[in-house]
Amino acid sequence: MSAKKTLDAKIPPGPVTEKWTQHKFNMKLVNPANKRKHTVIVVGTGLAGASAAASLGELGYNVLNFCIQDSPRRAHSVAAQGGINAAKNYQNDGDSVYRLFYDTVKGGDFRAREANVHRLAEVSVSIIDQCVAQGVPFAREYGGMLSNRSFGGAQVSRTFYARGQTGQQLLLGAYGALMRQVEEGKVKLFPRREMLDLVKVNDVARGIICRNLVTGELERYAADAVLLCTGGYSTVFYLSTNAVNCNATAAWRCYKRGAYFANPCFTQIHPTCIPRFGETQSKLTLMSESLRNDGRVWVPKRKGDDRKPSEIPETERDYFLEAKYPAFGNLVPRDIASRNAQEVCQEGRGVGPTGYAVYLDFGEAIQRLGKDVIAQRYGNLFAMYHEITGDDPYETPMMIYPAPHYTMGGLWVDYNLMTTVNGLFALGEANFSDHGANRLGASALMQGLADGYFVIPYTLGNYLATTKLDPVTTESPEFDAVAAEVQAGVDKLMSIKGKTTADEIHRELGNIMIDEVGMSRHEKGLNRALEEIPRIREKFWNDLCIPGDAKDYNKELEKAGRVADFLELGELMARDALERKESCGGHFRLESQDSEGEAKRDDENFTHVAAWRFRGEDKVPERCVEALEYENVKPSQRSYK
Amino acid sequence: MINLQNIKISSVTKKLLTGITGLSLVLFLVAHLIGNLTLFAGPEVFNAYAQFLHHFMHGMFIRLAEFGLFSFFVIHIWSAVSVSLSKRKARPSRYAVEGNAGGKSKKSLHSLNMIISGSIILLFVLVHLNHFKFADHEAVGTMTLANGVEVQNVYRLVVGSFQGNFGYVLFYMLAMGVLCSHLMHGVWSAVQSLGLARPSTLPYLHIGGMAVAIALAVGFFLLPLLIFMMRGTFDPNAMPDPVHHASLLLNRLIPG
Amino acid sequence: MNVNLRIWRQPGPNAPGRLVDYSLDEIDPSQSFLEMLDKLNEKLIHEGQEPVAFESDCREGICGNCGLVINGIAHGPKGACTTCEVRMRQFNSGDTITVEPFRAKAFPLIKDLVVNRSAFDRIMSKGGFVAVNTGSAQDANLIPIHKDDAERAMDAAACIGCGACVAACPNASASLFVGAKVSQFTWLPQGQVERHTRVLKMVKQMDSEGFGDCSNHAECEAACPKEISISNIGRMRREYTKAVFAAV
Ligand SMILES: Cc1cc2nc3c(=O)[nH]c(=O)nc-3n(C[C@H](O)[C@H](O)[C@H](O)COP(=O)(O)OP(=O)(O)OC[C@H]3O[C@@H](n4cnc5c(N)ncnc54)[C@H](O)[C@@H]3O)c2cc1C
Ligand code: HEM
Ligand code: SF4
Ligand code: FES
Repeated sequence: MSAKKTLDAKIPPGPVTEKWTQHKFNMKLVNPANKRKHTVIVVGTGLAGASAAASLGELGYNVLNFCIQDSPRRAHSVAAQGGINAAKNYQNDGDSVYRLFYDTVKGGDFRAREANVHRLAEVSVSIIDQCVAQGVPFAREYGGMLSNRSFGGAQVSRTFYARGQTGQQLLLGAYGALMRQVEEGKVKLFPRREMLDLVKVNDVARGIICRNLVTGELERYAADAVLLCTGGYSTVFYLSTNAVNCNATAAWRCYKRGAYFANPCFTQIHPTCIPRFGETQSKLTLMSESLRNDGRVWVPKRKGDDRKPSEIPETERDYFLEAKYPAFGNLVPRDIASRNAQEVCQEGRGVGPTGYAVYLDFGEAIQRLGKDVIAQRYGNLFAMYHEITGDDPYETPMMIYPAPHYTMGGLWVDYNLMTTVNGLFALGEANFSDHGANRLGASALMQGLADGYFVIPYTLGNYLATTKLDPVTTESPEFDAVAAEVQAGVDKLMSIKGKTTADEIHRELGNIMIDEVGMSRHEKGLNRALEEIPRIREKFWNDLCIPGDAKDYNKELEKAGRVADFLELGELMARDALERKESCGGHFRLESQDSEGEAKRDDENFTHVAAWRFRGEDKVPERCVEALEYENVKPSQRSYK
Repeated sequence: MINLQNIKISSVTKKLLTGITGLSLVLFLVAHLIGNLTLFAGPEVFNAYAQFLHHFMHGMFIRLAEFGLFSFFVIHIWSAVSVSLSKRKARPSRYAVEGNAGGKSKKSLHSLNMIISGSIILLFVLVHLNHFKFADHEAVGTMTLANGVEVQNVYRLVVGSFQGNFGYVLFYMLAMGVLCSHLMHGVWSAVQSLGLARPSTLPYLHIGGMAVAIALAVGFFLLPLLIFMMRGTFDPNAMPDPVHHASLLLNRLIPG
Repeated sequence: MNVNLRIWRQPGPNAPGRLVDYSLDEIDPSQSFLEMLDKLNEKLIHEGQEPVAFESDCREGICGNCGLVINGIAHGPKGACTTCEVRMRQFNSGDTITVEPFRAKAFPLIKDLVVNRSAFDRIMSKGGFVAVNTGSAQDANLIPIHKDDAERAMDAAACIGCGACVAACPNASASLFVGAKVSQFTWLPQGQVERHTRVLKMVKQMDSEGFGDCSNHAECEAACPKEISISNIGRMRREYTKAVFAAV
C-alpha cells in the first residue's frame, strides 16, 4: 500500500452505542463566565454553519459568522427538497437508532467511520425535536402527528419533510435561531464575505482573511477557533445540481494550510436531473427520484436513432435497467442508475439534442393508472419539467440525465470534527465524515444539523477548555504574512489580463471532470485527466480575463478565485480516484467489477480513508490513511439483481 | 412585558385608521344617499327629514355626527395621505418601465391615484358644504309642513341649485365619478386594512367593493341628473346662485 | 432568437445610473433569462467591457438570491416564478427587454442590478423565530398540530425572502414579507408564546427600515414567486391589533 502516514481519529473507547454518551461526559466544559471570553469564527451559514453559530451563541461564545450570499438564509442548504432522516420510529415500522446507523454504514459501502455514523443516528432524534420546536412546518397526518415518507436505500419510513422545501424550512429554523443571537449581540454577522485564507498562529488556527465582496477590501478576523461549514464541491464539474456560488475555496485554502483532504473522489451523481440543452447552460435541475417509481427508463436499441420517441416501436426500445436488473428494475440505487445511463449514451444511443439523455417514459403508467393518478403523484414535477424544457411529459417521454449532486469527500476530521490543523473544525458537507463512499437520500441535512446543533457545542468546548490559547490580534505578523499572500494572489489573478473568462475555463474543466472523474472511472481516463487539468490550469494562469477592479464588487474575480482552486482540487480528485483501485459507492472503477458488471470493493486493500496532505505547490501530495474498522456492521457486497 | 413605546403610530395603525375612517365615511355616504332619496318624495317629506335631523336629540345628534364626520375626515386625510405619500420616500428612484403583474394584483388606476381622487373629493366636499350647509338660509326661505310646523325650505335650495345650472350638475356628476374611482379601490381596501379579509372571502371582496362603489356613485350621480331633468316642477329663479354663496363663505371665513 | 436589452448600469451606490442598450443574438429559447445575461456578460468581457453585475445562486427558484425587474415587473412577466426560472422561450425574437434592479430605499443599490436586502434580516432578527435554545425541545410529537394548520403555516413559510414584494409594490412596502412570517408562527402552537411581541417588534423594525406603507394594491402577491397571499397581511394586522390591546 502506498500509505505512509496513518491518522488517529480519536474515536472514544467502548461499545459503539456508548461512545458518544461516554465521550460527552468525559469532555471538559468551559464555564459560563469563560465562554464569553472566547471568540469563534464560523464560516458558512448553511444548515451546519447556522446551527453551529446559533447554538454557540446561545451557550455564550462570541461568534463571528460569515457567508458569501447577502443573507445567511440563502446558503445552498435552502435548495434541498426531499427530506431529513431521523430514527424516530414514529411509524412503528422497525426503525431504530441502530437501524439508521446500519443503513448509513451499508449505504456508504463500508467506507464511513462507524463511531461517527452511530453518533449521527443518535442525535438525529433530537434534531427533529429541535426543528419542530423552532416552528418548522413539517408535513403532518390528520391526527396532527408528524408524517414520514420513505427514501432511497431504506426499508423504513423515517424521512421527515416539509413539502418539497425541507432544506429551506430547516434552514429558516436555524437562520431564525441565528438571527435571534445576532439580535442578542452574541453573533456578529458578516454576509458578502468570502474566506480566502486561514491564519495559523503557533500552528493553531486563529483567524481568517476574507474578501469583502462589496468593497473588495481584504479583512482580517481573529478568534480562538475556526469552524468551516462551507459546503460541498460538486461545482468542480461546472454543471451540477448545486448553486452556482458553491465552491471549495475555503476548504482548499485550509488544505494548503495543513488540513488533510479526505476521499476527494467520493462524489455522488444523481440520476434524475433534467439533461443539459447546450453549451450555455449554467446549472442542472434535480427532479425527485420518486419519478422512477412509475417512469420507465429506455433508449433506442439502434445507435443514432433520431426518430421521435413515439415513432420508435416497443421492439426497438431498450429498457436497459429492467433488462439488466430484473429484481429492482428502474428502482436500482442512484449510482447504478446513473452509471448505466451514462454507458448507453457513451455507446451512442443517448437521446435529445446533445445525445446525453435517456427517456423516462410515463406512457405505460398513464395507460395503466390514468392521467389523473399520474398528475396527482407527479403533477408539480411534470409542470416544472414542462416549464424548463418546453416538453409536456404527459405527451412525450421525459428526458433525464445524471448530474453531480453531492460530495462525500471533504476535509478530514477526527471524531471531534477537528481537522488536522488544531483549532480548525469542519462541519456539514465540507467534512468527509459520515457518508463513506455514498450518501443516502435525506442524510445530508441530518448530518449538517447534527454537527452544528449537537456535536460541535460539546467538542469545541472540550477543545477550548483543554487548550491554552494566547491572545492574538489581527495585527500580528502571522496575519500580516497571510494577508500579504492573499493580496498577492488577488493581484496575480487581476494581472493576467488574457482573453478567456473564468466560466469558459470552468466549463472546460467540468467537461474533463465529468468525462473522466464522473460516474465511472478507469486508469487511462484518470491519467488523461491528470494530464489535461494542468494544461487547463496553465491556460487559466496565462489567459484569464478579469475585467474591472479588485477593489469593487467584482463577480468575475470571485469566480476566478474559485476556478483556480477547482483546477487544483480536480487534479486531486483524479489522483485520489486513480489510487483507489477498487469500486465502492459512488466511486466506480471499470477495472473493479464483478462478472455481472457490478461494483466490486477491495476490502483488503482499501478499507480506509484516504486523506491527502499538501506538500507544497507543484509537489504531489501525500496520501495518508485512516484505517476503518467494522466491529458492528459486517461488510458485504451489494446486490440489486 | 410589551413596551407601549412599540406601538406609536405604526404603518399598521395608520392603515387601521385609514380603514376605519374610510369605511365610516362610506357608511355615512350610504346613509346620506338613502336620506337624499326622500327628495323624490317631494318638499314635504324632504324638508321634514331635514328638520328631523336638526332637532333629533335637541340638535345634539347632528352636532355629534358633524363632529364625528369632521374628525374622521381629518383623520382619514391625514392617515391616508401619509400612507399614500410614504411611497415617495420609500422609492426615491423610480422605475423606467412600470408594469402590472396581473393575476391577483389589484393595482389599478383607481388604487394608484387615491390621493388625486381623494383631493378632488375634498374640493368637492368644500364646494358642496359651502353651497348647502353654509347656504344663506335666510334667502332659502321657509315652508309650512302639513302639521303646521314652519321649517327651512332646504328642498328649494337643493332642487333649485340643480335645476338652475347644468354646469353645476355636471360638476356633481364628475365629482361622483371621482368618488366612484376612490371607492373602487377604497371599499375593499378598507376591509383588508382592518384585517377582516379572510382567504375565503378575499376573492369576492374586491368585486363586492367595486359593486358598492358603483352603487353609491350611481346613486349620487342620478340625484342631480334626475332633478335637472325634472326642471319645471319647481321655480328656480328665487334661488341665489352658487357664486353668491362662495362669497358669503369667504366673508364668513375671513372676517372683515 | 435575438433580443434588444436595456439594462440599468450603475457603477456604485452614489454614482449616477442609466439604461444602456445592448443587443444579443443566437439565444437558445431553452436558456434561462440569467443564462442569457451570462451570455451577454461573456460577450461584454470579450469586448473588454465590464459585465453586468447581477446576483443568483440556486438558479432553481428557492434561495431568493436572484431578483430583477423585467419590463417593469419584478421577476418578470410570467408570474409565480423567480427571475432564474424565467426562460427565454417566454419572449419573442426581436423583443426589447428592459432590466432594472429592485428599487426601494430600504434596498440600497450596490452595483448595476445588485441591491442590499439586509433590511429583511434585521426584521427577522426582531422576531422571525421561536426563542428556543438548542437542546431544550421536547419530543416532536408531543404537541399535535392540525394538518390544515401545518399546511397553512407552510404556505406562509414558503417565502424565500427575495424582496420581489417590495420591488413590485408601488409603495415599496414590505408588508407581505412580514405578514408571511407573522402568519407562519400564528398558525403554529410553538409560535403562541411570543405571538404579541413578535408582531409588534417586526412591524416596528419594518417601519424603521424605510419601507413604504401598504395601500393594498396586492401587486406583491401577483409578483411573489411563491404566491404568498395578501391574506397574510390581513392576519398581520389582526395580530397587531390584538397585540396592541393585549399591551394596554
Ligand atoms: C438540489 C439539491 C437537493 C438536495 N436535497 C437533499 C435532501 O432532500 N436531503 C438531504 O439530506 N440532502 C439534500 N441535499 C444535500 C444537502 O442540501 C447539502 O449537503 C447540505 O445542505 C449542505 O449543508 P452545509 O451547511 O454543509 O453547506 P451549505 O448549505 O452549502 O452552506 C455553505 C455555506 O458556506 C458559505 N461559504 C462557502 N464558501 C465560503 C467562503 N469561501 N467564505 C465564506 N463563506 C463561504 C456559503 O455562503 C454558505 O453559507 C441536496 C442538495 C442539492 C444540491
Ligand atoms: C367621502 C369621502 C371619502 C371616502 C368615503 C373615502 C373612502 C376611502 C376608503 C374606504 C379608503 C380605503 C381605506 C384603506 O385603504 O384602508 C380610502 C383611502 C384613501 N383616501 Fe379616502 N375617502 C374619502 C375622502 C378622502 C379625501 C378627502 C382624501 C384626501 C385627499 C382621501 C384620500 C385617500 C387616500 C390617499 C387613500 C389611500 C390610502 C392608501 O394609500 O392606503 N380620501 N378612502
Ligand atoms: S413574500 Fe413573496 S415576494 Fe415577498 S420576499 Fe417572500 S417570496 Fe419574495
Ligand atoms: S437564484 Fe435562487 S431563487 Fe433565483
